[in-house]
Amino acid sequence: MKLSEAIELLTSTYQSLDAVALGLPVDAKEVADALAKADPDSAEYVALQALAKVNPYENTKKEKVKKDDDYNQE
Amino acid sequence: MALPNKVLPGFSATLYCQPTATPTPLTTANLSVYASVSPIVITGNLIPVEAIPAFGQDDAVANFNVAGSRQSDKIPTQSAPTSMTITAAWNPADTNLLLIRGDAYSGTVDRTFVISASDGTGIVNYAFNGRVGQFTVDPNPTAEAKCTFTIHPRGNQYGWSNNA
Repeated sequence: MKLSEAIELLTSTYQSLDAVALGLPVDAKEVADALAKADPDSAEYVALQALAKVNPYENTKKEKVKKDDDYNQE
Repeated sequence: MALPNKVLPGFSATLYCQPTATPTPLTTANLSVYASVSPIVITGNLIPVEAIPAFGQDDAVANFNVAGSRQSDKIPTQSAPTSMTITAAWNPADTNLLLIRGDAYSGTVDRTFVISASDGTGIVNYAFNGRVGQFTVDPNPTAEAKCTFTIHPRGNQYGWSNNA
């Protein structure tokens, strides 16, 4: 489902946002990116928060550890 | 400005209602948006109540008895938002009291209500949609006339916002 469609549905519903968000399959990264850019005092932000709660995004990329930082020091 | 960061006196809270006889209540998401709620918080929408009653969530639990355990277990179950029975001085020409009376006669009008509390600078709004289920006038000759009405908030339709 497109994120814009999910947001439109959530901002126009009178039901529980958490319950509605459970039934909206969206991409977690897309939600996280949109949430970072959204105005905190807007209905879109509230909708994105509900989506983020059921679609948590974790950045799995880890920074490469520099081997020389802790080793090879005399 | 942020959330009021002090213990507020009871009289710092005021009740406002959405105007017009056929309002379109705010959607669930908009009930948490200060910019959507604040247009309702104006003097013209003020309901002249004596005090704001307790509001929030009713209690309901299921009690489970666990064999072999000293203590039983109480688990919260589905419950309704708290109904608010409110008393106001009865002015037969007050626009907002007339709206409330009309809602009570109808029983099917959904309206957004806002309880706004402030410490002078910070404002916190609790907005909810509700229907009015009762409206009575007490014309007791020993005191000023009072009217009493009950607002039943709709389930899940509430939101908090502040002017931070």
